[in-house]
This record gives sequence, structure tokens and C-alpha cells, in this order.
Amino acid sequence: MTSDSLPTPITQLSPNSGEVSPGSQVRFKSEGGRLLLLLPPAADTHSADSPADGPADWPLNWPELWLQIKQRLNGGDRFWQPQTAVHLVARDRLLDVRQLQAIEAALAEQQLTLRRVYTSRRQTAVAAATAGYSIEQQTSLAHLTPVATEAEQALEEPLYLQNTVRSGTEVRHPGTIVVLGDTNPGSRLVAAGDIFVWGRLRGVAHAGSAGNPHCRIMALHLEPTQLRIADKVALPPANPPVRYQPEVAYIGASGIHIATAADFARTYLSHPSR
Amino acid sequence: MTRIIVVTSGKGGVGKTTCTANLGMALAKSDRRVVVIDADFGLRNLDLLLGLENRIVYTALDVLAKQCRLDQALVKDKRQPTLALLPAAQNRSKESITPEQMSILVDALKPHYDYILIDCPAGIEMGFRNAIATANEAIVVTTPEISAVRDADRVIGLLEANDVKRLHLIVNRLKPAMVQADMMMSVQDVQDILAIPLLGVIPDDERVIVSTNRGEPLVLEPKLSLAGLAFANIAQRLRGDKVPFLDLSAPHDDLFSRLRRMFRS
Repeated sequence: MTSDSLPTPITQLSPNSGEVSPGSQVRFKSEGGRLLLLLPPAADTHSADSPADGPADWPLNWPELWLQIKQRLNGGDRFWQPQTAVHLVARDRLLDVRQLQAIEAALAEQQLTLRRVYTSRRQTAVAAATAGYSIEQQTSLAHLTPVATEAEQALEEPLYLQNTVRSGTEVRHPGTIVVLGDTNPGSRLVAAGDIFVWGRLRGVAHAGSAGNPHCRIMALHLEPTQLRIADKVALPPANPPVRYQPEVAYIGASGIHIATAADFARTYLSHPSR
Repeated sequence: MTRIIVVTSGKGGVGKTTCTANLGMALAKSDRRVVVIDADFGLRNLDLLLGLENRIVYTALDVLAKQCRLDQALVKDKRQPTLALLPAAQNRSKESITPEQMSILVDALKPHYDYILIDCPAGIEMGFRNAIATANEAIVVTTPEISAVRDADRVIGLLEANDVKRLHLIVNRLKPAMVQADMMMSVQDVQDILAIPLLGVIPDDERVIVSTNRGEPLVLEPKLSLAGLAFANIAQRLRGDKVPFLDLSAPHDDLFSRLRRMFRS
């Protein structure tokens, strides 16, 4: 424990401020051999309660949505088998023919084929039919979009991204986030689970955002703007190490601690009870 | 194959327009057919830097409104006949054209030019989206300052998401002495964050201001200054030639250092 460096705690987050609702960002999810492309819900349904949720939950407009689709596609392209069928879950979002075709073209670049569109909006269904996709119009999407009411939900499968997370990009995921690449200053990672960065972590990272204090942040080169675990917030140590080595940030006795990966493994991982 | 290159930065005042003017001129000097497009509608500057302001008759908007033909709007440079400028309208805003209209213009220019350089406005709004809509390459200009690098990083993310995948980095206004004194980010620091291939480094030089005010790009000087040489080298690298990077840390005109270099070799 002597090698632990203590980051400076600065404040406590208010409860639920880091809640990642499963639908707040564009998400790919495989289910029974097909790939689901889940879009966040549209503006109008959320507008009544969104100010309370904070800006992160504000609904996305089309250009932002489009950007997220492209970023997720660019970050995960190694894992998709060519010609995998994609089912677009548009929920209550209005999409016109051009937007659907743009999504199809983006998927086609990764050799994915858009097959089916699930929607609860009539206009979107008409547009999808015009563009030639099979549609499933549903009033309730219960089986595809579990409603996020209970606090203790099982985490989603990890989100794996292979790219540089650049300034201005915020990645939110109701599970663990793994980044193979750097996260630059000005970026944000928010995970309900752990955060692994196989590269330099230089932006803001928030693990256990739904309140789990056992979550950890691990990076080859931990040089964050700010660290957050559950409701704790800390700045990195004032004196950065001369040479960076893999480190782990976790919540210890007095808030967020940072230990080298080797020390952490020795103290914590060999005694799972601690 | 025409190369369509957007010159962009995110932050304003880091030297996008200076780079566009100098690279356009340098490429034209090597007998490439070059057209530079000012995409900064409402705040156009490129014509000033090229010294072509007084020869503008029509602008890109007049072409789109079918009030003139494209070749009437193009301003040919007297010094380098292979260089042309497509001016922006000064009296309109960036919302006055759309990415689709931009690609109409670029498509019409494509058959006649080897290089189309697009001078992008600062910011990431409509003007930026217009400028990058048709580009297949981008030159990202930044200065070694944390704010400029942060904005450049954001812009690179947006370019990548918009399928502009061939990116080049220019670090502008470097002060080697300050880097050595550890008071300024080094080129390496900038590259560590941005992680895109370096096209060149331009030292800070007062002559840039003089050349801007005169409307004479630096690369036209009979005896090239260090900054002018840097631009000429960048143009060559853009064409695919291997040119070693200038050693900016050595004071070039210093007799003492020249002697020292002579002894070293």
C-alpha cells in the first residue's frame, strides 16, 4: 500500500448524476446471430423530464446521432462478420428515407447489411417501406428495450472500442468499457462497470457510474483530467510520475486510490475477499 | 485523379488561410493546376492573402445562383497562371450554402484541376460541414498551444467520422527557442495527442505578417525565408516527395553554428 498515490478528492457527485440509461447512446448489440443497432429514444418523449437528468441525457439530433453511429462503427469494425444482418431499432425516432439510406451506406462500408427496421412511428415505417426494408411496427418495444426502472440491473456486455477517443467525444455505456487506444484530453468515458484503457487515459473517466464503488479504472498510462468512481471525484496526483506504468484506480479507505498494476494485483487480486 | 484537400483547424487564427495560400501557390509553381476555394462565407480572407481582392467580379454564390458561369467567377493569378481562386461571398453567412451545393461546385472544378484546396472557416458548424463535405483529404493546422491542439483533436474526430481518412498535420508558429526552454509544447507533444502523420512544421516568423499585408505569399520570395522554405517543403511532401524536415532548432544564419556543423561533419 505504500506505493499508493492518493489523488486529490475534490467533490462528491450527487446520487444518480452518472446514471447511464441503456438507451442514452447509439449501441450495437448482438442477439441470436444478428446485430441490433439500437438508437436512443427521440426528443419529444424525454423533454418533460430531461432537464433533471442533466445534459448527458438530452436527446440527440440527427447530426449527433449520425456521428455516434459512425464513431461506433469505426471503433468496433474488427468484430463483425461480413454480411451480418443488422436490425435497426429506431424506437420512437423519426427517420426519413435519406437518413435510413445514410445508415445503410455506413453499415455497408463495414460490410453489414441493413435488413429490418423496428419502429413505433408510422412515418418511419412508411419511409423504411419506401426504401425497401422489412419493417416491424410495434407500439411497445418491451422485449427489445427493457425499461430502465430498477436500479440494480444486470450490466450490459462490455463495449469494446478500438480507436482514439478524441476531444469532444463522450462514450457512455451501461457496462464495462474497453478502449484499445488513447483517450485524449477533452473526452469522457462513463461506464456503469469498469474502464480499461489499453493506451493513455487523459480525459475524464467515470467508472461505476450507477453507484457501484467496487468498480475500477485501469490504464497503461493513467494521466487523467479527472477520475470518478461511483460518487467520488478526484484529480490526478499533483506530481505526475516520472515514468508512467500501468495503474489501477479504485476506492480505498480514504476515497480514490491509485496503485501500480503490479501492487494492486498483489494486494487485492490474490485476496478476493478484500 | 484530382486531390480535394480541406485545410482546417477548429480554432481560429492558427494559420489555415496562410497555409492554403502558400501551399496553393507552391503547388502551382511546380506546374500543378490548382484551385483554392474560400469556404469562409461572410469572413473571406484568402483573396487578401493572395493579393487578388481587387480582381474579384463574381463569387461562388453567383455561380450557384446561375448569375455567371463558373469560369467567370474563377480569379486567375497573374504571377502563377496555373493557380485560380474561387472567392466566397462576403455579404452572406455560412448558412447561405449547403454541402450539396459545395459538391456541385467541386464536381464542376474537378476535371480541370490537379489540386482543389478548400480553406475551411473556424468552428465546427455549418461552414465546417460545407468545407469538408467533398474533401477526401485534410490538412489539420494547429499551433503548439493546448487550446489549438484540443480543437484540432475534436476536428480530427469529426473528419474521421465523416470519412475523411487521409489526414496530414501542420504545426504552425513553432518557436524553437521556447521549446528548448520547455516553455512551449514540442512537435512531439502535439503528435502524441493528435496521432496523425506530420506534414511539416512552420517556424514563427514576422515575415508572415508582412507577406499577408502585402498579398504576396511567402513562397514567392526570390530568396526563401525559413517559413517560406517550410511551406515549399510541405508542398513537395504533399506531392509525395520525401523531403527531410527542417532542423529548426539550429539558428540558420548564425556563423558560429554553421562552423560547428561544418566541424561535426
